Amino acid sequence: MSVRVTALIKPLIWIVALTLLCGIAAMRLDLRAPVDTNLLDLLPATQQSPLLDAATERTQTAFLRDLLLVVSATDYAQAHQGAEAAKIALTAAGLPLADPAQSAQALLGLYRQYHYGFLTAADQQQLHKDPISTFTNDVAGEFANPAGMAGVFGTDPGGYLGRYLMDLPQPYPNFTPDGAFMSAQRDGQSYLLLRASLPEAALGEPGATHAARAVAAVRSAVKAQCPNCKLLATGAALFSAAAQSEARQEVFWLTAASMLFIALLLLLAFRSLQPLILGLLSVGAGVLAGAAAVVICFRSVHILTLVCGTTLLGIAIDYAFLYFAEHWFGEGPAERTLNSVLPGLTMGLITGVIAFAFLLLAGFPALTQIAIFSVVGLILSYATVLLVFPLLLRRRPALRFAHLLQCPQRLLLLACKPSRWRQIVPLTVLLLAIPGWLQLHTSDDVRDLQNFPKPLLNVDQDVHRLLGQIAPLGFFLIAGGNIQQALQREEILFKVTGAEFPDATVLGLSRFVPSEARQQMDLKTWATIYRDPAALKRAFAHIGLPPEYVNTLETDWHNDPHAPLTPHTLLAAEPELRQFVVRADGQLALIATLMAPHTTARGLENAAAQVPGVSFVAPLQRLTGIFRQIRWRATWLVVAGYVLISLLLIWRYGRRNTLRMLYPPLLSLAVTLGVLGWLQVAVNIFVIVGLILVLGVGRDYTVFLREGAGSRSTALGVTLAALTTLCSFGLLAFSAIPALHAFGLATLIGILASYLSAPLSIAPDTRETT
Amino acid sequence: MISMKSMATQLFCALLLIASVPSAVAGAAAVPLPTPPKSFSARFVETRTLPGFNQPLVSRGQVAFSRVRGVLWEVTAPYHYVFKMGPSGVEEQLPDGSVRRLDAEHAPWLAVVRHIFISALTGDTSDLEHYFDVRITALKVGRRIELSPKPGPMAKAIKHISVIEAGTPQFLRIDETSGGRIDIHFLDAQVTAEAP
Repeated sequence: MSVRVTALIKPLIWIVALTLLCGIAAMRLDLRAPVDTNLLDLLPATQQSPLLDAATERTQTAFLRDLLLVVSATDYAQAHQGAEAAKIALTAAGLPLADPAQSAQALLGLYRQYHYGFLTAADQQQLHKDPISTFTNDVAGEFANPAGMAGVFGTDPGGYLGRYLMDLPQPYPNFTPDGAFMSAQRDGQSYLLLRASLPEAALGEPGATHAARAVAAVRSAVKAQCPNCKLLATGAALFSAAAQSEARQEVFWLTAASMLFIALLLLLAFRSLQPLILGLLSVGAGVLAGAAAVVICFRSVHILTLVCGTTLLGIAIDYAFLYFAEHWFGEGPAERTLNSVLPGLTMGLITGVIAFAFLLLAGFPALTQIAIFSVVGLILSYATVLLVFPLLLRRRPALRFAHLLQCPQRLLLLACKPSRWRQIVPLTVLLLAIPGWLQLHTSDDVRDLQNFPKPLLNVDQDVHRLLGQIAPLGFFLIAGGNIQQALQREEILFKVTGAEFPDATVLGLSRFVPSEARQQMDLKTWATIYRDPAALKRAFAHIGLPPEYVNTLETDWHNDPHAPLTPHTLLAAEPELRQFVVRADGQLALIATLMAPHTTARGLENAAAQVPGVSFVAPLQRLTGIFRQIRWRATWLVVAGYVLISLLLIWRYGRRNTLRMLYPPLLSLAVTLGVLGWLQVAVNIFVIVGLILVLGVGRDYTVFLREGAGSRSTALGVTLAALTTLCSFGLLAFSAIPALHAFGLATLIGILASYLSAPLSIAPDTRETT
Repeated sequence: MISMKSMATQLFCALLLIASVPSAVAGAAAVPLPTPPKSFSARFVETRTLPGFNQPLVSRGQVAFSRVRGVLWEVTAPYHYVFKMGPSGVEEQLPDGSVRRLDAEHAPWLAVVRHIFISALTGDTSDLEHYFDVRITALKVGRRIELSPKPGPMAKAIKHISVIEAGTPQFLRIDETSGGRIDIHFLDAQVTAEAP
């Protein structure tokens, strides 16, 4: 076999391996959801509950789809005109309004039909105590009430249904129905509320864009129709649109700036863009292979895996730069480039793979995915350098080793001179870092990772203050063998919460359709009232009501089927109420919420614990818990991985040298944590990913310097790798998005510290002076 | 959610508006207006005719309206009943002496009633016209005001309202879509001094 053929076989192996991975992944890929965005899927299978997940998704989707608009003016007629214009604009934008009057009429019809089963708790208690006297008194009161209507007597003689309906939960307590809108008068202003529901989940870009465009159209329409009107609009979709717009702008500028800087740097060093293209090829192949491996194992890739995995693969660029520096400026023959860098590359790969492989033990799908992604990605990037670069970079360019390019080696030599500053400087930095550690705090709250525009937040607060809404802390999940059992449990729960939180408003299906047992109790009360019509007539006559009225009432009671209203009938009449019912894996549960100004999740959990089958779920807390667990496990597993890497380094370099090699990355870690503490930056999952990157990069630098024996090409390779990593990830420190800012800052400080401390891994007496 | 109660409340506010400030309604037809009374009192005889019943229910009592204190509707025969509506809410005293209260804070529709009330007193008919088509006919003494509900929840409950006034309300009739009817005769109506 000729040398030429042998040279071609290696890239062929690379192409076949990558194609095979991608081919199998394409066959395994779940085309319905190739990228998983559900954060609940990050939970281990044992911690997942299908009902809980369905309920969380239901509440989340409802929250994301809701869009609220309030048109206001000092003059009601003007505000109404503005609201009409807003309604037309919304409909034209494909967001028709929910019609409160229509759904109310549907419900009203049902309640009238089944009115005997609908007594408020207070009415039921009074009627149960003294049925005939209470009933007579209530009928007399309704007749005398100037707000009562004569025709209502036949359907609701004592005003019981009216009181039940008044007691129904009001979605927006300060607003009353007003045709297609809801309205309120406050502080000399008329407010009209329009509520629209987005067709798609607003977390997705199409939904957010749709909402933002619709609101812009409404704003123009209202301004044209009523220049004095004010429009307030809020909804998760609008926040999502703002966040996406900000992220898009930032990504564009940061990417452009980093690409420009890296291109200039490489042009300066190599007078060619070839390293940039090949570097991208190496990292790109790693990302592709990593994603393919995850798809083969899980059928889809989680969004968090893509973000964190791609970031961690930033380590792979070090392999490429080590190769380029040796190829362009190495002191050995060009054909020996690979041999020169191979020990360093291999040690870098092995230690990297060990560090990430430990994440496989996490038992968290997210960390398992990140581990697979990173391990396979690193191997493919390494393989790219090993199998492809030698073919594409055969002849060494005739390039002078410029004066500027000698700086890294000079710096290295200077740092390696025996001097007490090698102890004083790190020790001083370490001492300065200590107070920072004491100020360190963690945050796993997803809200801290986002940055929402202040005006949007203010409008949101204004709207919810106007509506009189108090955001619930979470929801109750009420499981039951069937819907009737779940309704009964919900009724007990509401009794418990009513006693513990008297000012609270509760919302759940049993508020709209009581359990059959509760309705039967009401029907029994009515049966007691009509058991003795003669006694009822006497009571009517005694108070001054015509006794013959009792005949009609009695006939109506006897003609009534005395059947309770079933949830099935109610949900068919008002489909919006289906949001309270969740079903998964043949199980059923109800969702209920409680809104009160002074409640705590602990208090609500305690209330839930008093009723069988009921639990209180705070989705935000749950997400926070997931992130906290991931952060902890990732931290400890990386520590464990580092211990194993240390053993490997001891085997290769001996105990003394290993300690010396581990010193710089650990020093960098300590410094990074100290600076983060000083800057009051909370440690979250993204900071941890940044620190893992810093540890990996720092370890690579020491291994490369050790293997390269401090040669000029190695010093240059490490310098270029550090500068490009700083450009790509460190620039994120200037992001306004808190998650990216924290990650970027950790990376910026960490890489800088790793690079500056790397010479400490070389003993002063063993430095090379090539 | 539109409840039967809120529908009844709309009716009630219309009733109060018409009974207390007919001249404000007349403003819609550009008829020269006397100053609306800030408060008045009257006796009343109310006859409620229920659909399917020959015998109507007749009650008597007195009504007092004050812009500051609100409305007092007191039935004195055939039994005693009191209805008070003020800025803080509604209070009902039932024939057996028991009291029911509805806090304005927990019933925002009461604020709407009050708003419409005040709008009418200040001569602003836009709220009333939001619910009704208004027609005014001059009489020898005073005028007749005819109100027909506009399409919507109100029209589902009320067919027609007719009022006769001569400075203060004289007579009110409400025809309901159910076939029920309410006739109220106001007697000895007089403008009273507004409490400070």
